[in-house]
Formats: sequence, structure tokens, C-alpha cells
Amino acid sequence: MTAPLASDETIPAEGSGPEKPVASGSNLSIWLWRLGLIAGLLLIWEFAAGHLFNEFWSSRPSLIAERFLALFASGEIWRHLGATVSEALLGLLLAAAVGTPIGIALAKYRRAAEIVDPFVMGLYGLPRVALAPMFILWFGISLLAKVMMSFSMVVFVFILNVTEGIRTVDTDMIDLMRTMRAPKSYVLRKVTIPSIVPWLMASFRIGIGLSLVGAVVGELIGANRGLGWYVLRAGGQLDTTGVFTGLVVLMLVAMIANHVVFLIERRVLHWRAATR
Amino acid sequence: MAGRDEMKVAIEAPRIFLDNVSISYATPRGRLLAVDRVNLAVDRAEFVVLVGPSGCGKSTILRAIAGLNAAESGSISVDGKLVDGPPEHVGFMFQRDTLLPWLTVRGNIAVGLELAGVAPAQRSSRIADLLALLRLSEFQDAYPAQLSGGMRQRVSLGRMLAYQPGVMLMDEPFGALDFQTKAVMGRELLRIWETERRSILFVTHDIEEAVALADRVLVFSPRPARIVAEYRIELPRPRSLRSLRASPEFTAYTSAIWEALGDDDPAAA
Repeated sequence: MTAPLASDETIPAEGSGPEKPVASGSNLSIWLWRLGLIAGLLLIWEFAAGHLFNEFWSSRPSLIAERFLALFASGEIWRHLGATVSEALLGLLLAAAVGTPIGIALAKYRRAAEIVDPFVMGLYGLPRVALAPMFILWFGISLLAKVMMSFSMVVFVFILNVTEGIRTVDTDMIDLMRTMRAPKSYVLRKVTIPSIVPWLMASFRIGIGLSLVGAVVGELIGANRGLGWYVLRAGGQLDTTGVFTGLVVLMLVAMIANHVVFLIERRVLHWRAATR
Repeated sequence: MAGRDEMKVAIEAPRIFLDNVSISYATPRGRLLAVDRVNLAVDRAEFVVLVGPSGCGKSTILRAIAGLNAAESGSISVDGKLVDGPPEHVGFMFQRDTLLPWLTVRGNIAVGLELAGVAPAQRSSRIADLLALLRLSEFQDAYPAQLSGGMRQRVSLGRMLAYQPGVMLMDEPFGALDFQTKAVMGRELLRIWETERRSILFVTHDIEEAVALADRVLVFSPRPARIVAEYRIELPRPRSLRSLRASPEFTAYTSAIWEALGDDDPAAA
């Protein structure tokens, strides 16, 4: 059993064996520790800035909170949030839609996969950020440029995970289906597709972060809105409070998106979490 | 040659017939002979057990009968038809349960019914019957991950029975279970087999299990698998495993088979 791409992802072979509880935040004491930790860090930050060093360099949590609320109050945030989220989401979905069939094809046609393998790995290894100028050239500073940037970051995750997922489908299960003379379409529906679902979910989880990276990088290169653009502009104006506020919003977006995937995963993979 | 064999098959009508079958497979160090000129016939409703050292090639024979591996030479037929790909009405059970983890117990058993072409309207009552037969009714909505190893093999057995095979090929189906569960499963298998007689070809390296279950035990040599001895087990049925163990006939069979396997048998440990 090969592990999927991200080292922190675990995929079961067939749902057997002891599983760690998926929900990590259910425990009250863990939550108290988390709150205490973040409160402590924010307090240190708040008092260090302005006392130990000039608050110009790091801003202060209270200023950031103020800006954060102001952005929501004025409604300005939605323009940026909407842009970045739609870029990342479209890139992610496009990557899933394109990467999954490619991954299936590469697993199915071994010879073709062997032939194209160095090219795929070459493109995968290429820092996709370096493609940004070309995307700007081809797609302008439109939404499409950022979507493509985001797509190029994520698509390989789907291709490689799905390929690996299909290659590690339990051969005994397939053999058993063969002894019962199951048609190919039946095996696909009952065995192959359900076995790649955990790999797809893992791809989505890894893909969220990468798709945001793609969207933000796209915005840094050329845009007139978006959280990346907001951070860049604030940086240009030496507005550290603005930079940190943009980062906080980005972080919240990633956390919320992760949680959404977690909820979907719990629904789709309920058979995995099932324990005695 | 093939024509004459088919005639013979038609007259004697064994369900499984192996004629001089050799099987080898490719390894990094060349071809390895796994099965060496095996002749074997299993009658209708006969329970035949293959014993032999682990890895001797017994499983390869089973897989070949199921049409998963091809024989290199000789011929295999099931119900008089030469095996060329998975034959009809043959159920298979692995040592591992191979249940679909995303389906419930019901769902897994339904797989056998669906592939047997049972009409959707009749599936529900068939499932209920099988669940009752296997004493699984209260676990019907559980997922495999929630079941113990013994329960999972029970579900596997249910899936195979749902497929309504005339021939059941069982490759160490209880080999991974603890001693007690194994005995229970053996008893259950006999109970089911005695109500609905089918041909069973059962692989194990547990000699007591072999004698307790079989009409006939075939003893294999270490690889390449070759039949070295054959015992017809004339113990009365229905058999009770507990009283069997105490009977002198049972002990006579098991010690004879120990003898036939030879002392260097790695499975003896």
C-alpha cells in the first residue's frame, strides 16, 4: 500500500484495522488548550509590538481585528473574498474534472503511462508559479488567468492520486468479482470507483491549499482585486496591518474549506469511520 | 483427446475434473513449476479437502479451476465444460474476506444475488433467508470494519451462497481465524452443506480441520504440488466436531495424514 502524496494523509487499504478517530476537535480540553495557546500568542504579540519593537514592523492584533471588522462593515471584503474564493474553487473543480479521468487513463493504459511518465513528472516538478507570466499573456488579468494558475497547481495532485488509487485497488476483490463473472461495468461501479473515493477526498484536502496558492500567486502577478492583490497593495503602501488582515482572511478561508471537506468526507466515507 | 475426455465426463459427471494438469508461473528467476501433473475429480455434492504444506501450490489449483489462472498443460473442466476463463456456477472464497468495505452486510450479500441474476423483487427475501441461515440478521446494516474476522468470513460465505454456486472453491477460508472461531465456522459450513449439498473443494493446512470436514482428503507434496496420498474419510455424518476429536478413527486418520505429509512439513509447526 503506497501512501498518497501528502504525508499527513492516511488511506486505509480496506477499512480494516484500528482507525484513529478522524475528528480531532471534539475533545473539550483540546479546544481549551487551543484557545489558551492562541490567546497567549496574541497577547505576547500585542504587548511586544510597541514595547519591544516598533509596531510598524508587525502591526498589532487589536489593529488587525479593527481592520478586519472595518472591511466587513464597509463590505469591501466581499469583492476580494469573492474573487479569490471563486478563482480557487473553479481551479480546484476544474483540476478534479480534468485530473481524475487522466489519472484513470494512466492507471488503465500502463504502456501509455510509462511513455508519458517523465513528461508528467517534469511538469509536476516545474514550479508552476513560473508559468504565471504566460498565463497573464494568454488569459489577461481576467478571472480565467487565476483559475488556470490554480488549476495548474492542483491538477497533478488529482492525476497522481487517482492513478495510485486505481493501481492499489485490491486485486483479490477484483478476482473474486471475476469468479462470479461480473461484467466490467459492475466491477467499475462496485469496486474501482468506491476504492478511489478516499484518494479523491485526499486530493481535495491537499488541493484546497494549493488552489489558494494558485489564486493568490495569480493575483500577485496581475489583478485589481482579490485577497492576494489586497495583501500586495497593503505591502506596497507599507500597511502591515492590511497585510496581516489579508493573511488572516486567507487563513480563515483555508480553515473553513478544510472543514467543509472534512464534513463531506465524513459523509462519503462513513464506512471507514465505522468502528466497533 | 479432448473429445474423449468430455465423453467420459458426461458419463461419470464429476463436477470438477482435472486431467494431468501442470501449472507454472513466471518469477524474476524464470518459470517456477507450481503444480505437477495433477489428476483430480470431485463428484456432485462431494466435499474434498486438499492438504499440504503452505505455499505448495494448492491455491494455484483452486485459482485455475476458478478460471483465474490458466493451466499450462492438461485440461480442467467444470460440469463437463473446459475451463477457459471463470466458469458458471462456481463460488470462490479467499482466506481474506474480500468484502467490499463500503457496503453493509446486506449490500455485500446482495452482490452475490445480483451477479447470479436473481430478480430484484426476490433479493430482499433471499437476503433475509441467508442472514438467518448464517445468524447474521442483527448485523445486516453493519459495515465490514465493524465486524470481527469470523463474522466477516460468515458474510463472505453468505455472499458465496447468495451466488448459488454448484461448486464451492474455498482457499483456506478459516485460516486466519482463531482456533475457536475456526471450529465454529467449520461446524456452520457442515450444517449448511448438509442441508444444501454442493461440491466443495476446500484447501487447508490444518489436518484436523481437513478430516473433520471431508469426504475425501488429498495430500499434496511440497512444491511443485503433486498428490501423494488420498484418504476417504468414512466417519458418519452429521459429524459433531467435539465427539470426533475423541474418537480413535479420527485420530487414526489425522496421524496417517501427518505421516503422509512427512516430518519436514513446514506447516507442522
